[in-house]
Amino acid sequence: MNSLTTYLIISALLFSLGLLGILQRRNLIGMLISVELLLNAANLNFMAYNRFVSPDPVTGQVITLFVMGLAAAEAAIGLSIILALYRKMHSINIEAAQKMKG
Amino acid sequence: MTAMNMAGFPILTTILMTTIVGLLVIIFIPPEKTKLIKQVSLASASTGLALCLWLYHAYDFHKGGLQFVERVLWVKSLGIYWFNGIDGINLPMMLLTSVVLFTAVWTMWELENRVKEFYALVFLLVAGVYGVFMSMDLFWIFVWYDVSLFPMYPLIAIWGGTRKEYGAMKLTLYLLAGSAFILPAILFLWAKAGGHTFDLFMLQKIGFSLFDQKVAFLMLYLGFGILAAVWPFHTWSPVGHVAAPTAVSMIHAGVLMKLGAYGVLRIGMMLCPQGAVYWSHLMALLGTIGIIYGALVGLAQTDLKYVIGYSSVSHMGLVGLGLATMSVNGINGAVFQMFAHGIMTALFFSSVGFIYDRTHTKIIPELGGLSKTMPIASAFFIFAALAGIGVPLMASFWAELLVLTAAVKVFPVAGILACVGMILSALFMLRVVQRTFYGDKNPKWEHIPDISRFLAVPRVVLMSCILFFGLFPKVMLDVIQSTVIPFVTRF
Amino acid sequence: MGALFRDPVLFATVLGTNLPFLSMAVILLFTRSKPFVSSRISVCSIAVSAVCAVSLLVRLFSAPALQYQTLWFSSDKLNITFGYYLDPLSLLMLTIVGIIACLVQIYSLGYMAGDPGYSRYYAFQSLFAWAMMNMVIAGSMLQLFIFWEMVGLASYFLIGFYYEKWSASQAGKKAFVMNRVGDVGFFLGLILLLIAFGNLGIPELNHAAVTHGLPQGLLTVSSLLIFCGVIGKSAQFPLLTWLPDAMEGPTPVSALLHSATMVAAGVYMFSRIFPFFSASPDTMAVALAIGTVTMLLSSTMAMVTYDLKQVWAYSTVSQLGYMVMALASGGYVAGVFHLTTHAGFKALLFLTSGIFIHEFHTNDMRIIGKKGGRKLKIPMVCMAIGALALSGVFPFSGFFSKEAILTVLASQPSKIWYAAGLFGAVLTAYYSFRLIFHILLPKGGIEEAHHEEHGASSHEHEEGHHGYIFWTMAVPVMILAGVSLVLGFTEHTLEHFLMRSIQVPGELVAPAAHAVSVAAHVAAGGAHHAHEAGSPLLTILGVSAGLLGIAIAWFEYGRKGASRNGFLSYFPAIWKLFDCRWFLDIFYRKGLDTLVYAGLTSLFTKNDRRVIDGGIDGICVFTEGSGRLFSFLQSGMLQFNLLLMVLGAGAAVLYFVI
Repeated sequence: MNSLTTYLIISALLFSLGLLGILQRRNLIGMLISVELLLNAANLNFMAYNRFVSPDPVTGQVITLFVMGLAAAEAAIGLSIILALYRKMHSINIEAAQKMKG
Repeated sequence: MTAMNMAGFPILTTILMTTIVGLLVIIFIPPEKTKLIKQVSLASASTGLALCLWLYHAYDFHKGGLQFVERVLWVKSLGIYWFNGIDGINLPMMLLTSVVLFTAVWTMWELENRVKEFYALVFLLVAGVYGVFMSMDLFWIFVWYDVSLFPMYPLIAIWGGTRKEYGAMKLTLYLLAGSAFILPAILFLWAKAGGHTFDLFMLQKIGFSLFDQKVAFLMLYLGFGILAAVWPFHTWSPVGHVAAPTAVSMIHAGVLMKLGAYGVLRIGMMLCPQGAVYWSHLMALLGTIGIIYGALVGLAQTDLKYVIGYSSVSHMGLVGLGLATMSVNGINGAVFQMFAHGIMTALFFSSVGFIYDRTHTKIIPELGGLSKTMPIASAFFIFAALAGIGVPLMASFWAELLVLTAAVKVFPVAGILACVGMILSALFMLRVVQRTFYGDKNPKWEHIPDISRFLAVPRVVLMSCILFFGLFPKVMLDVIQSTVIPFVTRF
Repeated sequence: MGALFRDPVLFATVLGTNLPFLSMAVILLFTRSKPFVSSRISVCSIAVSAVCAVSLLVRLFSAPALQYQTLWFSSDKLNITFGYYLDPLSLLMLTIVGIIACLVQIYSLGYMAGDPGYSRYYAFQSLFAWAMMNMVIAGSMLQLFIFWEMVGLASYFLIGFYYEKWSASQAGKKAFVMNRVGDVGFFLGLILLLIAFGNLGIPELNHAAVTHGLPQGLLTVSSLLIFCGVIGKSAQFPLLTWLPDAMEGPTPVSALLHSATMVAAGVYMFSRIFPFFSASPDTMAVALAIGTVTMLLSSTMAMVTYDLKQVWAYSTVSQLGYMVMALASGGYVAGVFHLTTHAGFKALLFLTSGIFIHEFHTNDMRIIGKKGGRKLKIPMVCMAIGALALSGVFPFSGFFSKEAILTVLASQPSKIWYAAGLFGAVLTAYYSFRLIFHILLPKGGIEEAHHEEHGASSHEHEEGHHGYIFWTMAVPVMILAGVSLVLGFTEHTLEHFLMRSIQVPGELVAPAAHAVSVAAHVAAGGAHHAHEAGSPLLTILGVSAGLLGIAIAWFEYGRKGASRNGFLSYFPAIWKLFDCRWFLDIFYRKGLDTLVYAGLTSLFTKNDRRVIDGGIDGICVFTEGSGRLFSFLQSGMLQFNLLLMVLGAGAAVLYFVI
């Protein structure tokens, strides 16, 4: 049970859930959360490989820390964009933001 | 060509700098101070004019060849030089540019809408034109060429008149299409020569194979020909002229169209002489069609500026025919015609601009009887029309004489047809003059005062230019000829 | 510059020919708003010019031909020279032009008085005089062509002087364009010569033609092309219709342009390079035919019009036809002599007509007659003198020159030209006396109503007649009448004078920068014809032709109880034909409208709009459309884009894995 495959399966599930969420949710907050899921799926992968394949240099953990920092920054920027959008459109439904139409 | 490094005072760069300094100064003046902006523009333009006049005076046509050379290596790996020089072909063009810029700036003295931006763009445009004319390095010629094209779009789209967006867009697209031919041709020649120099004269010495010359010349001819309004790539010219504001029409028809013919001559015929000879029948054909076609279509126009636009097509056809003859007389005449037409058409647009400013129309049937109310302003237009007809003792007559003499000799049929075109041009110029200026006094325009002395100055300058070179063609032909005679030996 | 002041001949030439230009410049630049000053400047300068011309004629009367030349510019092997060529022909013509222009300008002081365009009028008059004088003494054909064009330009302004009138500006335009048609031929001929012969100097050209220095084919083609210029400028068939229309200009302009100067320029050019033309028999034959057709056609037109000036205009065309006939059949002296006498009496006729028109404000000869035209005694007598000269009645000048022409024609192998000439003489006398009798003996006498009115305001009129205005007009007219009386007797002097330059055998001296005497000789013996004294029979025939014409005119218009309709009124079709100028104008109008305006112009305009612009716009529309085609990918739906991205990435993964 405590093998690499388990973690990979969980991470794949997590990634699929995130992808599904980002493609299907119409709520911008929901999409942002789904993005976090995607990132965390990647993090889980990094950690698992670090643990089972090459434990000595902790590169995987370092990258995970980077990604977490990045996720925090992304959430901050994303939320501020959502706020700005809400002020303009009084809604955070993605279907309301369709101005860039060819 | 012997002087390989910076010799003496870099007069050519200074001339270029007058426009760029003018541009920079204008940028730093607050936009409300329109008077100051105009004064700075005029000062910069007159400095350029003075320097060009001095250049013309100082050029030694007995010696001929390239003079006032400035040559510095700029990018070694590609072989790009800052290489400027003056010979008998670009000297008249430099003079033309400075005269037209000077008069154009003065003509637009009454402009009130976004003065700062307007003059800044005009100077950017003219910097490009000066650059093309003085540069002897293919890379720089192309760079300056595109610099001169870019400002046309905002100049027409912002300050223009009839259908300005359409005209601006059409003009820009056409000219950029021309660039799309020119750049590959330049790179092709550069690569064929080994890819280590853009210097025109070094490229000329290398000599290209006949096939390369044929390909490159055709591309250059089409690319530059679009700018010179060669039939059938001419339709941008009337539309663009009509849309453009007065000064831009003047610079555009007066100078920018000459860039095209100059490019064919300077790059095409200089680097690909055999290719040029191969395509000369095509050039003669298109030139002759342009002469007659332009005059005939001009007959049907009702907009004054359209008429002038088509007359430009006709006159530039003559330039094309002159170049196609590949003979001393033909090229002499073509270069002289470039100069004469530039001045003449600037006078045309300048006088139409005044009429349009006052009457707010340039539709011929709405005008009529104008010479009763504004005799002097009308006289300017009539004078330009006479120059356009090719009345003797005006500059264009000699140009026509030389071109037609050469044309009848080399391409008899085209030459005779071009002579017949003279009848058509008389017919259509006089028709316009009659309908616009003759006839009974038009009550609509009765209250309009005649042109003021101040505004008459640029028109008088242009008129005296036409007359001076009409009476003393030697002054210009000696200069042109000093370069053309060695040039022609290569065909 | 030094040479200019050392050499009095050169000085007089330069001064005389260029002073009018100076006066034009001064008038246009400075004195436009001061009509009085402008007119005086112009008249003074033309008077000085005339004096210069006369003194040159006197001084060089027995001197060899003089040539001054300077290189104006050169391009390749093309040397364009500027210079003067003073030989008897150019001196004679210079004098004629100077004197006539001077008289016309003096006359205009009265005629144009009070016109708003007074200054402009004198500026253009000066321009015209300048161009004409320079054309006359031109040393090379190219210079001649240049001033020939300037003459055309000046005439365009003068004919269209009343530019408010649509018909006037139309006439000016027509004159210019029709002249241009001929000039293009002229120009092509010059270019051909320039290419093949390389020199356009007048003496050189004549010499080369005489000594067979030119191939016959080239000679024929180029001379025919150059003759096109004569056709245009001298209003020969088929380009003759601009001249009658040109009567829209002020009457003094008609007198100047259509008597001695502009239209005579064509004939002058013909005689200028007469040896050149005469070396090509084909060209001479064509010219003879064209001259004859012109002469007859325009005489018939003159028979039906009631417009005073039109009659003289048609008559000018027909007299020019006579001159071309004379020259074309080898009568150099006869042609030039008729040119000289015609200049005098035609100017006289126009100027006297101008007095009538000024007085009665109409051009219709019937109205002038009814309103008492004959009461103006001086003009009436002068006009009669002019008409007699025109009809070739002894001892007026026209008699001598017409006799000379008929003699030349009689010496042609085919007698048809002589017969045509005689017939033309009858017609000439007929239409001129038709006009005279219309004014002198109007139908139903002078209208009484007008008479009374005339009596009431007689005092005012008296003043008018003897005032300044009347005399400025009457004096030139009387001078011209005197000239017409005596000029004929100078025939022999003139003949000797003219033959000197063209007949002296000897080698041509190569032209140098300075005065070089040039003598050309004519191989074609044509020039001798005028020498042969006309036989008495020819003289009798010629005189009786003129008298016959006058007699017919008397029978129809003069005698008591005459119908005053003219025999042509019994043939309405012919009347219409003559009145519409043989439908030449209608033909041209139609041709221009259908071929140029409706045909080529509209075709090309449509091509521009539809094909070229349409094609380019089509490309733009296509580009835009194809862009639009793919723009559905840019739906604006964030998640749709994401889905595409994921699918794309999935496809890439699949591609790389498999």
